[in-house]
Amino acid sequence: MATALTTKLLGQIRISSRFIRSRAKSSVTVATGSSESELEKRDAERKDITITVNEKIDISAISGVPDEHIKTRTVRIFVPARNAMQSGTYNTRRWRMEFDERERWENPLMGWVSTGDPLSNTEVNFQSKEDAIAFCEKNGWNWFVEDEKKPKMLRKSYGANFSWNKRTRVSTK
Amino acid sequence: MLRLWPLRQVAKVQNVLGGLTQIATKSSQPVPAPELVEVFIDDKQIFVEPGTTVLQACAVAGVEIPRFCYHDRLSIAGNCRMCLVEVERSAKPVASCAMPVIKGMKVKTDSPMTRKAREGVMEFLLVNHPLDCPICDQGGECDLQDQSMAFGSDRSRFTDNAFTGKRAVEDKNIGPLIKTIMTRCIHCTRCIRFASEIAGVDDLGTSGRGTEMQVGTYVEKMFKSELSGNVIDLCPVGALTSKPYAFTARPWEIRKIESIDVMDAVGSNIVVSMRTNEVMRILPRLNEEINEEWISDKTRFAYDGLKRQRLTTPFIRVNDELVPTDWETAFVKIAEKVKSTEHASIAGVAGKFADAEAMVCLKDMINRLGGEILCTEESFPMTTSGQVFGLILIDFRSNYILNSKIAGIEQSDLILLIGTNPRLEAPLVNARIRKTWVHNEVCVALLGAPVDLSYDYQYLGDSYTVLKDLTTGKHPLCQALSKAKKPLIILGTDCLQRDDSHIILNAVRELSENVKKTCSNKDWKIFNVLQQSASQVGALDLGYQPGVQAVKTVKPQVLFMLGADAASFKRQDLCYNATIIYIGHHGDYGAQMADIVLPAAAYTEKDAIYVNTEGRVQIGRQAVSPPGVARHDWKIIRALSEILGVTLPYDKIGDVRSRLAEISPSFNYPGQVSDSGFETQAYKLQSELKPKVAEPCPNPIVPNKLKLRDFFMTDPISRASLTMAKCIQACDESEKNPYSKREAV
Repeated sequence: MATALTTKLLGQIRISSRFIRSRAKSSVTVATGSSESELEKRDAERKDITITVNEKIDISAISGVPDEHIKTRTVRIFVPARNAMQSGTYNTRRWRMEFDERERWENPLMGWVSTGDPLSNTEVNFQSKEDAIAFCEKNGWNWFVEDEKKPKMLRKSYGANFSWNKRTRVSTK
Repeated sequence: MLRLWPLRQVAKVQNVLGGLTQIATKSSQPVPAPELVEVFIDDKQIFVEPGTTVLQACAVAGVEIPRFCYHDRLSIAGNCRMCLVEVERSAKPVASCAMPVIKGMKVKTDSPMTRKAREGVMEFLLVNHPLDCPICDQGGECDLQDQSMAFGSDRSRFTDNAFTGKRAVEDKNIGPLIKTIMTRCIHCTRCIRFASEIAGVDDLGTSGRGTEMQVGTYVEKMFKSELSGNVIDLCPVGALTSKPYAFTARPWEIRKIESIDVMDAVGSNIVVSMRTNEVMRILPRLNEEINEEWISDKTRFAYDGLKRQRLTTPFIRVNDELVPTDWETAFVKIAEKVKSTEHASIAGVAGKFADAEAMVCLKDMINRLGGEILCTEESFPMTTSGQVFGLILIDFRSNYILNSKIAGIEQSDLILLIGTNPRLEAPLVNARIRKTWVHNEVCVALLGAPVDLSYDYQYLGDSYTVLKDLTTGKHPLCQALSKAKKPLIILGTDCLQRDDSHIILNAVRELSENVKKTCSNKDWKIFNVLQQSASQVGALDLGYQPGVQAVKTVKPQVLFMLGADAASFKRQDLCYNATIIYIGHHGDYGAQMADIVLPAAAYTEKDAIYVNTEGRVQIGRQAVSPPGVARHDWKIIRALSEILGVTLPYDKIGDVRSRLAEISPSFNYPGQVSDSGFETQAYKLQSELKPKVAEPCPNPIVPNKLKLRDFFMTDPISRASLTMAKCIQACDESEKNPYSKREAV
């Protein structure tokens, strides 16, 4: 269940100019009765208004995540490795977060494996590691980033199979 | 098919003859950066280096071309035709994997012609492929399955008019690790190319042609390689699958945990597949700097040893018999023993799987109690004189790690291996050497046993006099060593387990320093040690002493063994009434001689740090829970320290890791490796302090692992593994097989 979540950079909220305009319009019209053209002009000045909140956002108090799962958990932010069994690389294009593993046990009812960890099945993908970090910061989790491991591209040629004096010459086919 | 061996033999002879002179003749001028070629992939303009294939150019543009036979790390075969793409002004579609880019080339990867070509290829492949996906182990992670969904037709024109049945091929028996269902084979020849190019075992090949074509060994024999398991990953269909994993799990049921391997000191990156709190299989994970995308067979298949011989509950020795007990009783018993002994007589030994967290906890606890003796099982010359006094060699990190790094092997032009068999001690380092040997024409010389390294090398013999000749410059190889731009000297650790090990190390250090003087590349690190156990570099970084010599001389009364299972000492070596406390996960040598056994977690069961032979710190992740009442190693020691009255100030694993970083800053940078320094200073001190009189070294400098059968069982996990036992059995049987290649020695 891959859910792509994009979050804004840490501590910054951009309120769209459109939203500001609509609010400004309604309040100003009622209060002062200014003409539409004046408002348009003022709007144009305000066009790229951005409100930056510098303080750190912490939603852990209202996120509903139990306290013990905020303070004791560590998130690993990484790019999933390509499945060695297949050649497709689509899964390696996003950043993912995972929590540290908690104890599992065999459930006596069915013999299935149980866990008391509500976060063990979380799978959240991000466009960039900054997004992932911001998400963890916002939720109050400790995190660490594991660097992306990219394959190196090698120069290859079909002719190397038949070069007569190189060790790349193939014997069997 | 095409047999080219006579020519290859000629080339081989030439290489052997010209190997040494080749280095000198190689051009030293750096190749100027070539002009980039402009190509258009689906009308997207990109610039690539000339000589890039169309398929690679598409990858740069973010377009993935379907393929079966092409693999990034193997040579180009161009026989599956799945990668056909349309190129503008070309009458026919071209095989993108083999076609180099041409300036201004316009490639269409999703045009009607491309799609039709793929559909046609797919149809032909499926005509000769069984419809057994529901019972195929590859199901769910099969390239053929996925690509037939994406690029194939929705119906088949295959009708069995003559009722002869689909093409069927007899299965081959190529050993206890790889299951073959050859009817499923689509003849991509990836396994053949892997065997001959990467593994260096030219066993696989094809026979017959057309419908009659078969991939196999022709005569029945074992695919005898330490890297054989990788063909399971390479196989794009279910023709080669894992025998131990057969019919046990499906890919969509398993959780993947990205972790680190501990079977050797390479620290291969792995993915542990977990289901129902069990390790189902282990796969490699890409890391260009360490294991590329291969892993050794021991890494891949020894996981069944994690389910056998496990310690699941604490034990106490009562009347010479180990009796199960609970944690409290065991802890109280240890506390009683520790209280009644002199605290200076408490020691600790760390085994080959010990993680850095547990080792630092054990060291801190014993130091707080007043004990000073902490050592690892594997020996390494402590001092230049072999005595207690002298320069402590292990104070310098450059003395005990692989300084030039595993990826650095690819840059070297001459490799001298001393007393090592890298093929069995660190298969992926050997694969790197072989890669360099194939692609960069590196010259390899070996001082040690004449083992099969899967590539040609110049054998120098195994006696110390050869090493002496090398240091004094009398040996013919010295000329080549001084001419080489980037020479490497790799010293194995098997020959350092003896009393005369310091003589060998001194000589190799001297040799590398001599070579360094003449080497034009001053930043290049020449001296390298190839460690064998996953814990060794970490232990030495943390201040453990290598080797159990100190334990044998001091004869401690209380000894903590942290997974020490190499049988490096016996009970008789300790004090007559010594108490041995074993903390570990397998019932092996260590637990057998212990008085109190505390069950701990294996490497798949804990978040733990390991330092590989390059000095690279890596974090392994927990995949499953420890069995029974077993606990994480560092937590056991933390709890014990409280009972012993020397509470360690760490409550979380994060705290332990900060402590690690306090001792060695490299622990702050997991995944990275920093250059070692102070080699010149280390050598200066070493040459001043080493004994002036030349000591004799009568024993030959040979590694312990000589044949493939020696590779499989080396530690408690692989000794408990049924699969590894089967491998040894198969190796023994193949000795009797007249078609099997004789192993050297």
